[in-house]
Amino acid sequence: MPSNPSMAAAIVGAAESDKIGYIEEGTTDQILHIQAISNVCAQVGIRPSEIEGIFSVGYSTNIAEYLGLHPKYIDTTGVGGCSFQMHVHHALAAINAGIIDIAVVSHGESGYSGGRKNRGRGRNRGAGGGDPWQPSAMFDGPYGTSGPPSYYSHAYSRYLHQYGARQEDFAQIAVTTRDWAGLNPRAVMHSKETNPYGGKITVDDVMNSRVISWPLKLLDCCLVTDHGGAVIVASAERARSFKTKPVWIAGAGENMSHQNMLEMGDFTRTSAPESSATAYKMAGMGPGEMEMAMIYDSFTVTAGITAEMLGLTKRGEGPSLWEGGKAGPGGSGIPVNTNGGGLSFSHSGMYGMMLLIEAYRQLSGTAEDGVNGLPGKQTSAKTAIVNGTGGLLSVTGTLVLASDD
Amino acid sequence: MAYNKPIPDPDPYTTQPFWDGAKAGKLMLPRCTNCNQAHFYPRMICPHCYSRQIEWFEASGEGWIHTFAVQHRAFGGWADDVPFVTAYIDLKEGDRMFTVLRGVDATKPESIKIGAAVKIEFEEASETVSIPFWRVV
Repeated sequence: MPSNPSMAAAIVGAAESDKIGYIEEGTTDQILHIQAISNVCAQVGIRPSEIEGIFSVGYSTNIAEYLGLHPKYIDTTGVGGCSFQMHVHHALAAINAGIIDIAVVSHGESGYSGGRKNRGRGRNRGAGGGDPWQPSAMFDGPYGTSGPPSYYSHAYSRYLHQYGARQEDFAQIAVTTRDWAGLNPRAVMHSKETNPYGGKITVDDVMNSRVISWPLKLLDCCLVTDHGGAVIVASAERARSFKTKPVWIAGAGENMSHQNMLEMGDFTRTSAPESSATAYKMAGMGPGEMEMAMIYDSFTVTAGITAEMLGLTKRGEGPSLWEGGKAGPGGSGIPVNTNGGGLSFSHSGMYGMMLLIEAYRQLSGTAEDGVNGLPGKQTSAKTAIVNGTGGLLSVTGTLVLASDD
Repeated sequence: MAYNKPIPDPDPYTTQPFWDGAKAGKLMLPRCTNCNQAHFYPRMICPHCYSRQIEWFEASGEGWIHTFAVQHRAFGGWADDVPFVTAYIDLKEGDRMFTVLRGVDATKPESIKIGAAVKIEFEEASETVSIPFWRVV
């Protein structure tokens, strides 16, 4: 008989690669993966050889070979930045089914270094790439788009039209997120010391930043960095045997609306209402019980729309979650994206792992331990909603996490 | 001047009538003979009722702007054209197409109206391929 997998497993550790951000000497995906796994195993107090299941975006066999592992469960789900929420969902299911007890979810992406190595090789960028007979190559490829911002802007534009929203409302999301980065010494945009463009910003700064794809401006867009991260997911029984604290997977869900933006029926909506409904139901909790939120912010518009998709605001009022900085440090609302987000902390191309790590660190109360020199405790939240958005607002993965007591 | 932007490589299995139509200056769309609904992009199976009985018909070439963006960064041949406007077009016959929108001022996005009527036109990109574009009427 199938059983509700809620709380059948917990995240018991979360760590990053030795270095993150703009790694000037260069790095590789492999280095970032392995450093993160090494760090998280040390944190939890296990040997990598105890890992029974490996979950990554297409990299699981590389990781296993490198570490000499022979995992019983191999998952390579790669559906964009939300893949990591799904990896946790899948690990939960595998653990609940009794197939494995200990899983690693791993991320390594040299978004900055890799981009530099490949500079000049992208002559045909914008032509769609890959199989020329794919719909995206034939029916998007001819029209000059150039990566995610050039598509997401169409959703932003439609949202402004449909709800009469103002660009300034979305700009506030970037401002509040930068305020959190100011408390995170590892955030790329922490301060003028960490980056010439770092430090506090204003709504005017966002509004006056260079237009990338109207209405998206530079400061509406995430960073492109190098980043590795890993979390260990363990069965309920094992989760209590480690030196770290468990953060329980109370609920998990995933869904999708489209692959090509051509098939995005409603440009103001993602599949997060569906993925979060599954997660809330599994958890037996609702949006009103979420004490913090980690919301994928590839762009301000991604976070703004997602807030309402998760039921944290009314429809058409997503950016109000950040209004007047209330989702920021010392704000009157729930804390959102306490690490500084993809906008100002670090975003290697796929950001879902960073959502997981920050949610674990805040809920486990271990944030102040300074794992890898990461920022301190920003909230005493005991529950969190974590939502990844992947592709072109295409795919979503939602987790409801809860700590003991 | 030769067309210097990406030219699609038509797939002969599911889209040939579309490209043949474009070459002749017509918008050809696939339609299911079972449920009578048109769809785009072209498929070998109806996305509405899963019938595999698909026919092609000449559409009106009329539609409306569903949403748009102004591209200030582009690569290849498009880099010379920034800023330019891209848009998703609601087709009169249903479903949607993507395009570079013509007849609009990319430097004044507030002057571009979602819902505005548009009409299709075709540009010869090579001896075999003409590319559809939409223009505000």
